[in-house]
This record gives sequence, C-alpha cells and structure tokens, in this order.
Amino acid sequence: MNWKGNALYLRLALGAQLLFFAAWGGWLFASRNTDSPEFYLATEPVDPRDLFSGTYVALNYEISRPKLGRCPRRTRDLGSLFVKLEDKGGKALTPAGEVALYEATDCHSNPPQEPGWVKAEMIYRFGGPVATYGIERFYLNENDPRKDARSGTVLAKVKIDRNRSLVLLDLVEKN
Amino acid sequence: MASYYKKLKADLEASAGAGIITPEQAAAVYERALSLSPFASFKAAHWIGAAAGLFVALGVILIVASNWDRIDAATKMFAFLLLFAGVGEAAIRLDDKPTAAVPLEMIWFFMPILGIGLYAQIFNLSGDPVRPYLLWAALASPAALLSRRPFAAYLCSALLFFTLYYGTLSSNGVLALTAARAADPQPLWHWGLALAVLAGGAALFPGRKLSLPLGASVVWLFVMMLADTAVKVRSSALILLSGMSLAVLWLTYGSGRDDEKPGLPLKVWLGAVYFTTFFWHYRGDEFANRSAADSAAGGGLAWLLFAGALLSVVFRPQNLLPAGARDEMAGKVLLAASILCSFLLFDANEATAKGLAIAANLLLAAFGTVSILSGARDSSEKQINLGVAVLTILAVTRFVDIFGSMLRSGMAFIVTGLAFGALAYFVNKGRKALIESVKK
Repeated sequence: MNWKGNALYLRLALGAQLLFFAAWGGWLFASRNTDSPEFYLATEPVDPRDLFSGTYVALNYEISRPKLGRCPRRTRDLGSLFVKLEDKGGKALTPAGEVALYEATDCHSNPPQEPGWVKAEMIYRFGGPVATYGIERFYLNENDPRKDARSGTVLAKVKIDRNRSLVLLDLVEKN
Repeated sequence: MASYYKKLKADLEASAGAGIITPEQAAAVYERALSLSPFASFKAAHWIGAAAGLFVALGVILIVASNWDRIDAATKMFAFLLLFAGVGEAAIRLDDKPTAAVPLEMIWFFMPILGIGLYAQIFNLSGDPVRPYLLWAALASPAALLSRRPFAAYLCSALLFFTLYYGTLSSNGVLALTAARAADPQPLWHWGLALAVLAGGAALFPGRKLSLPLGASVVWLFVMMLADTAVKVRSSALILLSGMSLAVLWLTYGSGRDDEKPGLPLKVWLGAVYFTTFFWHYRGDEFANRSAADSAAGGGLAWLLFAGALLSVVFRPQNLLPAGARDEMAGKVLLAASILCSFLLFDANEATAKGLAIAANLLLAAFGTVSILSGARDSSEKQINLGVAVLTILAVTRFVDIFGSMLRSGMAFIVTGLAFGALAYFVNKGRKALIESVKK
C-alpha cells in the first residue's frame, strides 16, 4: 500500500495535530482554574518582540535571583527546584491601592506540601545563575503603552496553579 | 533545471522518432530522470503556489502576533482549531490539484507554530526557546512524510537542522550541549535528544540524496568538537585529524551514486587540505590550547572518526576522482595521505608543521595533475578545469604567501606558466595518441 498521499493517513495526522492543540488548550485552562490567592511581584522589564507570538514585555524579577534560606549560591547549581514565595512586608502603590509584594525566602528540591512553593528552573545567564518561572513574558497588543514600561515601573500580578507553577495574570503599572 | 528535462524529453522523442530507441525506452529513460529529482516535474505554477502559501501563512502569523485582544481566549483558540482543520482537510481533498494543494500544504505546515505562538500569547507562556521548534517539527513531520510533494519534508528537515544547531550551541534548554561557564557538563540525555533530532532531519530530507543532510551532520559534529561540549578537542593535531576524517567521510558516503556528484564534499575536502597548507606559518598550539585540554570523549571520538575514515578509504570506492579503475588507487592514496598528514602535528614543532604544509601542497598539486590527466583521458572538460583551477589557486597563494617580493614572485609565476605549458603539451600529445590508437 502506498502511504504517500493516502487520504486516510493524512486525516489521521491532521486529527492528531488537532487533538494535541485541543488537549493542550484544555489542560492550560484547567490548571489555571484554581482559587489560589493572587499576589504581586516586583519586575525589571525590557521590550523585545517575537514574530511568532507578537509583542511582549520580557520580565526579570527580584525573585529571579533567590539568595535566602537554602537557595543555591554556587554557579554550577543549575536545574529544577522549588522556591518559597512569602509576603515579608514589602508594599507598592497601584491604581487599585496598596498591594503586598512577595519575596523569595527559601529553596528546596523536594519541599513540603504547603502553600507558597513554586516550581523554578535555575539556568545560566551572563552574570550567574537565574531562576526562571515560566512567567518571563507578558504578551500585549502592539499599541499597548505598557510595552514601553521601564525597569521598576510595573508589577506582575500572579497566582500559583494546580501544578505549583506561577501563572502571569496581568501587568500593573505602579503609581 | 526544468529546461534540462525539456531538452532531454525532446532528444529522447527525436531518438525514438529516428528509430534509435523504442518509444517505450524513451519514456522509461525520461521517467527515471524525473524520479531522481523531486522538483523536476514542478511547473512555474507550483512554485508560485508554494510562495502564495508561504506568504498567506506568514501573514496570518503576523496578524495573530499583533495580539488581537478584543477577541477572548476561548474564541481565538476555537477559531484557530477550525482554521487548522479547514486548511488540512482542504489540502487533503485537493491533493490531486497541485495549484491549490501546494499553497494549502505550505499553510498546513505553518499551522502548528501558529498555534504554539497563539497559546503562548493567550497564556503568557515562556521558557526554553528550543521547545516550540521541536514541538513544531514533531507535529508537522507526519503530514510532511505522508505528502506526495516534497515541500513540507524539505521545510521540516531544514527546521530540525536549524533547531539542532540553535539548541545545541546554547547553554540553556533541552538541547543544550555547550557548558555554561563554571557549570557542570550538560546531561547525557541532551545528547540522545540531539542525535534523535539529527536523525529526524536526515530521515525527513526528501529524495535519495544524502549529501546535504550528511554534510549538515558532519559540520555539526565538528562544531560540537570545537565548542565547549563533552566531546571538545583542543589540540591542533586532534582538531585537524577530526576535521580531515569528517571531510573524507562526507566525500565517501555523501556522493558516488548515479544522481549525486561529489561537488560540495569535494570542495570541502579541497578546502581542508588548502587550509592545511597554511601550517607553514605555525608557531605552536597558542590559539588552540586556551580553554583547557581535550575531553576524553572528544579524544575517543577523534580516533573513532580517524579509524572510520581510513577504513572507508580502504574498503569503499573513492569519490575524489572520477570513477574508474585507473584512478582508484590514486584517489585512495590522496585521501589516506590527507588524513595521515595530521600526525605531523602531534608534538609538533615548526619543522614538522612545515613538513605538514609541504605535504598538503604536494597533495593538492598531485590532485590537480591527476585531474588534468584523467580529464584529458576521459574527454572531461570539467575535470581538466578543476585540476587547472586547483593548481592555479595553489600557485598564486604560495607566490603571495611565501615568496613575498615582486621579483621572486614574478620568477615563480613564469616558472609555473612554463610548467603549465609543458603539461598542456603532454596532455595534447597523449590525447592525439589516444585518437590514433582508436583509428587503427
């Protein structure tokens, strides 16, 4: 049987592609649908552009270089770990009023099942190891003024999903 | 290329008309010629169709990328799935109408990355930059393999090789093979994934041509040995041994079939030997030994490549010179010598490095001379031109490189010119003798 150009096989390939995107979309929706509290993170944005996904603000965070508790200090400690995020009294003023800023207070590769622990990946960047949380891009319309946000002028509104990953909800300008 | 097939068809029809061959034979020869080139049967309309598909796909991607935030997430995702299904189904239904199917297949190929970009935008996804490309290739390859046209397979293969180079030369991500500064080596499974991507890129390359994917693989492996990876080599001798062995392996396995001429691999081998001639100026391992020593795996790989190349030279037909028993031994000797020359760089001093440079010059001179003689014998103008080009480039380089002064260079040019004249005389004499022997 000649499988080149076979309509049945091509439809199966198309079906598999569609199934993948439907399942992925469903999983993304489901994992974010939690009652976990929303909180804010201080950011250090820059402004690049990705032709496949559009304009986004690239975000670095103060929690990107966790130093307290058992957080790794050596350059060679790369890979997956969990970071504890807590309200340590830091505040910022937004149009909606004063909000608490969360900070990284501890790290562990196998943390206890308690709120506040989030997945991170330690990678190497110029200047040393950096923790990435999968919230390093905020996509917005190319005419949105927030794409010109400068370092320290915006806050990231986030929450923790069912898989202990941080979810980026909004980018809020500080007053 | 299309004009070649047009002319071939006309010649075959004329031959069949003149009774030299039967019409069936003419048709069979033409079909075979067409089957060797995946794009031979493509008309201008098909190429325009492919361009149309590419432009539409890129346009849709940019519109989506502009982040149409007036539409809610679920609607965007549903619209995307609907568009995806529509494009795929239309491409399948119109498969026998290439003018429509070609652009649709192009759009279909880009649909997965469109979806990945859209989802990243909706859910603010970020992370390893290599994963989207790997996912795109994994999703697009089944349809590319099943398509009766080669466009999607070419694009998929190119995508995988691009991802391989991009991902492995990075020090972060699932394909990263280059060590971050002061960090531990990359995990072994990254190599497994990289080799799987390499195999996928080579397997998806359409047609029976092996030269380009093999060349991309050979260059990638050499780059990995030069970069700060688990297989890094830092000594000049091992770098040269690996490079020359890879060039010989590419030449041996990347050409030699009926439809594949050793054009690119041959030029790369010539370039590698030409580069070796500059070891005349070698002053020690100063540029190569800056970042630590050879890794054990790198050293082992270099010796493995050397053994593989040498065994291939001995047991496989050579592709350096045109096929034929007369030049077989000459080709094998030149190839083996080009690899073995690298040994002069082990514990090298200026004298042995100069010996290596002289050997490389002699290799090129021998190749040029044998090419001219072989071309004259087989009436191959192309082979003669190649030999003359190699000798000329070699002569000009050495005159400028070594002799320096205008007086000495001028004298050297005259001597070379006279040598060329003598060679032309003997080649012509040999040709006439050959013609006379045929007449008798």
